[in-house]
Amino acid sequence: MMGHHFGVPFHEELQKRIIRTALSRITEAEKSGDIYLFPMTWAEARLEGKEIEKKLGIAP
Amino acid sequence: MAISKGKELRPGLWETVNERYPGSMITKTDFVPLVKLSKPLGEARLAFISTAGIQPKGTLPFDTVHPVGDYTFRRVPSDSKPAELEIHQLKYPTFGANRDLNVIFPIERLQELTNERVIGSLTKNFYSFIGYNMDPERLERTLAEDIADAVEAENADLALLAPA
Repeated sequence: MMGHHFGVPFHEELQKRIIRTALSRITEAEKSGDIYLFPMTWAEARLEGKEIEKKLGIAP
Repeated sequence: MAISKGKELRPGLWETVNERYPGSMITKTDFVPLVKLSKPLGEARLAFISTAGIQPKGTLPFDTVHPVGDYTFRRVPSDSKPAELEIHQLKYPTFGANRDLNVIFPIERLQELTNERVIGSLTKNFYSFIGYNMDPERLERTLAEDIADAVEAENADLALLAPA
């Protein structure tokens, strides 16, 4: 989602996984211009993020 | 897991934007040739470049209201803490970034991945500018070249570019 290209707030594992996936394309892409679809929807990311915020006690 | 090669995710989008804002979008029909990393990622130095308008507190704010955009960039020390940085950009929703900057400028995650030796090292600085630039030729001729020169001077092996 615009403004959230590395995931949702406080979801450190997801943020890191997005970076690692992007970096993996350096070795796995077969040609320039490849587009890789990250296997997670925004809705799924938001749900996980909400759970994390609840556990951290910082849910808005 | 779907992979599409060499195709736009939303075909025709750029043409639509160009009709509404003539000349404001760069249309690319070719791609820069793919260059393989010359060393393992765990030994490589990474630069991060973002259009998120992130800058160290106290530096000259980006001109977010200029009608044709701001063609300058800011160096962001890669060892910065999020509390030392601020956002000057109006063109994307910042409700997430205002709570956790890493959603748009993942500086802490990149620092951690370096500590974990997934990435060899980080350049001394990351680079940020604002994505609202209505003159693509000027952007390509000046801002992009200036950042490329700066990244090269820092001996980066690879750069991660992220729009906002």
